[in-house]
Amino acid sequence: MSTVAPAMRHVRGFDVARPLSIGVLVFLMLPLVFLPLASIFIFGTSNGLDKFWAALTAPEAIFALKLSMATSFWATVFNVIFGLFAAYVLSRYNFWGRNALIVTISLPTAIPTAVAGFALLLLWGPYGTLGRLLTPHGFQIMFTAGAIILANIFVTFPLAFGVIKPVFDTMSRSLEEASATIGATRWQTFWHVTLPSLRGAIVSGALLTFARAVGEFGSTILVSGNLAGRTQTAPLYIFAKFNEGQIEAANAIAIVLALFSFLIFSVLFFARDWLDVD
Amino acid sequence: MKAKETFIPKREEPESTRPSAAASVVGVSKRFGKASVLENISFDVAEGEVLVLLGASGSGKTTILRIIAGLEMPYTGKVILHGRDVTELPARERGVGVIFQSYALFPKMTVEKNIGYGLRIRKRKRKKIRETVDELLSLVQLQEHRKKYPSQLSGGQQQRVAIARTLAYKPEVLLFDEPFGALDTQTRVHLRREIRSLLKKVNVPSIFITHDQEEALELGDRVAVLNVGHIEQIGTPYEIYNHPATEYVATFLGAANVLEAVVRKDFLEVGSARIPADLDKEKFREGDCVKIVFRPEDVSLSRGDLPRSSHARLASARIEEITFVGAYERLRLRLDKGGAEECKTDETAYLLTTETPERKPSKSIIATRPKPEASASRLYVGEKVSVALTSFTVLPQKGTKS
Repeated sequence: MSTVAPAMRHVRGFDVARPLSIGVLVFLMLPLVFLPLASIFIFGTSNGLDKFWAALTAPEAIFALKLSMATSFWATVFNVIFGLFAAYVLSRYNFWGRNALIVTISLPTAIPTAVAGFALLLLWGPYGTLGRLLTPHGFQIMFTAGAIILANIFVTFPLAFGVIKPVFDTMSRSLEEASATIGATRWQTFWHVTLPSLRGAIVSGALLTFARAVGEFGSTILVSGNLAGRTQTAPLYIFAKFNEGQIEAANAIAIVLALFSFLIFSVLFFARDWLDVD
Repeated sequence: MKAKETFIPKREEPESTRPSAAASVVGVSKRFGKASVLENISFDVAEGEVLVLLGASGSGKTTILRIIAGLEMPYTGKVILHGRDVTELPARERGVGVIFQSYALFPKMTVEKNIGYGLRIRKRKRKKIRETVDELLSLVQLQEHRKKYPSQLSGGQQQRVAIARTLAYKPEVLLFDEPFGALDTQTRVHLRREIRSLLKKVNVPSIFITHDQEEALELGDRVAVLNVGHIEQIGTPYEIYNHPATEYVATFLGAANVLEAVVRKDFLEVGSARIPADLDKEKFREGDCVKIVFRPEDVSLSRGDLPRSSHARLASARIEEITFVGAYERLRLRLDKGGAEECKTDETAYLLTTETPERKPSKSIIATRPKPEASASRLYVGEKVSVALTSFTVLPQKGTKS
């Protein structure tokens, strides 16, 4: 028996386990990932490309895409700068409550997005803790593009930080010390020495944050008010059109968002060498 | 104080009486929390001199370097560079050059960008930077690597870039933090000879840190031996090797045998042997217990009971072990009677070698014989020989400080 077993696994030098396991992997992924994605494209283009194009260029659709991009962009800008700053403070200084801060920053990933949106409403909404005081003065951030940015910031809060902090942690202190002894100010050291080493982490942190923000639904639907042409982001547009039975309209935007994610993840995947270059 | 200085013109002292120290550390001590890591460290480095701080890990040598560089604040004491008290100045205003063990080259800059960094942040003209970089590249012989990134260079090349990078802005003093620690033995020996001649060429005062005694002896114009936060001895390599001031220095720099002895009128009593010695009467009194320290190569062996007339006969001994170690042979000898009876504790001699730094009580001593002598008169294990000393150092029994 023991002499037969190896022979079964290697038929004349051919490893049967290889094609078998690859086949099983692809077969399992088929209904879970590949087919759902494929059906977006199959369905979206089934009525002809001109119909697809018309659905895509509808003013509300264009607006939703633009709004998604703009709100995600500003959330990304904020979270990358904040993440950089937080990573610097939390990896350079040791102080009481440091770990508590790290956990708090990382917390938003674990909170359901609907809860996040609800929490923002409870703070800034017309009857919220802060909103109650601000609304009489004409300040109302909820149900505006600002609310969408706030929600995006909240749900993508730890992403850039999470990518940048490990790089800070492993960065040798002697680089900064060397720069200081050579005569550089703190700012020069940060600009010429620290920042270039973080380039890869900053780019991938930004891409992750942006990709996540563009797709955000749960918190956005609560805080934006979902007003078509005013506060309706692309994912909300898909949801609204689907509810109205306009499957083609929903589908056109879905294709754009899917392609967009492909693009971002290809950059992250194929530019890895460039991003991590030492 | 500052305002006054501007009114009273500083009187230039004549060149001859001015202290020639390029860098001085005066009474520096350092604590981390309650632990004292440096106690009252003082030393000078002359213009163009290479001083090596030699010590085991934990001796505080790196802390001294970091204090001079301004990366660490001393608890007490001062750091003076070319007559300027820099103790309160941040690292960037001191104008020191630090060569880190990890090289600390900027990974995203090419070799030439790394070397030009100090001048770029000083906003020098582009042409001037280029000239200096060219000059330094040829000095460290890396012209063909100027466009490469540090990760594309070997350890030795990276270290040379690091040196060029600090030389670019003409530092007041160069500080080397175990610069060869991460290199293999061959590169290390090669590079340290290269750096030694380079330093003589640029004539910048330098402080080297190392735990490698061979490196210290070869590189240093002077060597300071550190032991748990204080300087045991500071002197030329010849002095500290041949006239160690303390037992620690003797045993840290290569192998040393230590025997106990009693001071007599004009000789030392070691066991039953009498070694003629002309001792400083101020330092040693009759009846004092002392230690005599001698290196394995200071032991002269002769067959049987016939001592060589010119050397101080110590005792007869039996050969326990002979090891061939290339250039010489090493013998372990058991003394018939070693150490002075009056001073005897439970151990009479130490076996101390570089291979085993910890003290092992033993009545054995280590001797070495160069190859010509070893092959001219062969000795065998078990044979009885007469042991004499060609030279030795006498140290007081108590206390390690002199």
